[in-house]
Formats: sequence, structure tokens, C-alpha cells
Amino acid sequence: MSLMDIFFGKKQASANIAKDRLTVMLAAERGSNALPQMEEMKREILEVIKKYTKVKEITIKSENNQNIEMLEVEIVLDR
Amino acid sequence: MGIILTVTSGKGGVGKSTTTANVATALAQEGKKVVAVDFDIGLRNLDMILGLENRIVYDVVNVMEGDCNLSQALIADKKTPGLFFLPASQTKDKNILEKEKVRKLLETLKGQFDFVLIDSPAGIESGFEHAIFLADMALVVSTPDVSAVRDADRVIGIMDAKSEKAINGEEIEKLLIVNRVKPGMVERGDMLSIEDVLQILAIKLIGVVPDDEKVISSTNTGQPVVHDMTSKSGEAYRRIAKRILGEDVEYLDLSEKNGFLSKIKGLFK
Repeated sequence: MSLMDIFFGKKQASANIAKDRLTVMLAAERGSNALPQMEEMKREILEVIKKYTKVKEITIKSENNQNIEMLEVEIVLDR
Repeated sequence: MGIILTVTSGKGGVGKSTTTANVATALAQEGKKVVAVDFDIGLRNLDMILGLENRIVYDVVNVMEGDCNLSQALIADKKTPGLFFLPASQTKDKNILEKEKVRKLLETLKGQFDFVLIDSPAGIESGFEHAIFLADMALVVSTPDVSAVRDADRVIGIMDAKSEKAINGEEIEKLLIVNRVKPGMVERGDMLSIEDVLQILAIKLIGVVPDDEKVISSTNTGQPVVHDMTSKSGEAYRRIAKRILGEDVEYLDLSEKNGFLSKIKGLFK
């Protein structure tokens, strides 16, 4: 950052904002396209886990950046 | 056997028809036998961009329904030897296309031409699905703005899921054209750079077309801008055609005369 930018508070270039917004948006959209039956799967996983443990909460996130597709399952147990 | 090359974008107004007209013309100028097919049923456009609107007798739906022979509907562009045009129908029912009839037509065209360029309609409805279903390659056109890039991403995803190639476990070769780039704005950081768009869409780049007023005046007169040897956009389209034919062509220098970055490489910062 140059001295001028510090004095005048240069605003962030809009292209970077566009890129960030798109990256976030598309990660979410690609995920939802890949797994149209996410809710159903969530319910079934929950049922299986419930059989053996006390589940408090289950969250499933899918991430996709075109090189790697990942499914993140987080199960919080009730103590 | 020819290649089916579908020009698509998702979002409307990013320059699909202009791209179809110019790439088709440039491929024909390279000595290929090319047909440009307008699949935007109900909203024909390509005819005026090619300057062939007064020569239409039959359209693509007439051919598919057997109202006429293919040769009666094909319009030869007198300005460009080797370039033919098959117009869209003006019928109000845009759902008139049938899968098997489309297949028969496209297979016939593939037998007669080196390249079958399909100008896909905007959106992701049935007309779009017909336009991509049998594609061998796709030119994905996007402008460097959030809505166009987002829609291009959708369209890439649909091609990977719903095309015949996808169903057979293959992949349509998807090639990106970034259209209407304003190098000055990219240099100031106020427009997504080519590299930004490439990173987001993650497909292969085949061309960068600068924003050029000559595209508008050439559309006004019905002479695709590739005929203008002095225009930068025309040169960009000629280079895209060469790349489609497998030539390794340098990217255009798009920097503005007073710009401090002298190469298009500046766009890749």
C-alpha cells in the first residue's frame, strides 16, 4: 500500500470484490447441483447414527471447487 | 465427419450470436465448409448479424418437419465462400424441437460440413438443451461481470450432466471466450481479469475479444466484424478460428495506447 493510499483510504478494487462474491456463490451453487437429495441423505444418516449413539446435531456441507469435491459431515453427540 | 460446435452462455446479451456469426465466418475464411444454425426458435437474430435476413425462405423447423429439403433451406453467404446459414423458425412455440428430429438434422449436417455451429438460445430451457445435447465442442461466451460468469458456470455444469457425451461418460470440450473486455478497466482493477474468470470457471481459454464499437456498426450493416481487417475484435475472432483449427496463436495486444502495461499479459496480473 502506498503512502497516498494510507492518507486517502483507497477503496478496494471492485474486481476483487466481484471475484470473492462469485467464488462464494458458485461454491454453494455447485454443491447444491451435485447433491440434489441432500436432505434425504441427511435424514437417513441421522437415523443410522441415532441407532447407535445419541445425536444432538448433524450438519453436512458439500464443497466443490471443480478440482475437488468434498462432503463434510459433522455429528455432534449428546452427552 | 464434421464437428458440432455449440455457442452458449446462459445469460442473454453477452454476444452469442455475434460470436457465432464471426467464428463461423472466420472458419470459412480459413477454407472450411461451415454452417451456422440458429437454434433460438421464435427469436431469430443470427440472420441480421450475417446480413442474410432477406434471403430466408425456409427455416430449421421446416427442414425437421420435412416441409422442404435441407438444400432448399440452406442459405449460401455470397460474401464468404464455404459459409452457409440455417435460420431459426419464427414459430411462437419454442418447444417445437424434438430430440430425434434434431439428431437427424445435425447428423446430416455433420456429414456435409466441417463445422456445424449452433447458436444456442439464452437460458437453460429445452431449446438450450437441444443445442448442447449433441455438441462435440462448446464455445462458452461470457463477459467479465458477475451475472454472466455465474450463468456460464451453470451452463458448464449442465453440459457436464445432460449432454449425450456426458451420458456416455465422455465430456464436451468446453472452450471459454471472454467477450467485451475493457483493458483499461481491468488495469484499474474495476473489471474481472481474464485470469480471474479462468480461475472461477476452470475451463480452457480460446479467445479474448475486446469491447469494440465496430461490432455494433458491423451488426448495423450485416457484415460480421471479421470482414473488417483493421478491427481488433475482428482480429480476435480470426485468431479464435485458428485456435479451433489447432494452431497455436498468440493473444492479441489489447492494451490501450496510453496504457502502461503493453501486453495483454497485463490482463493476467
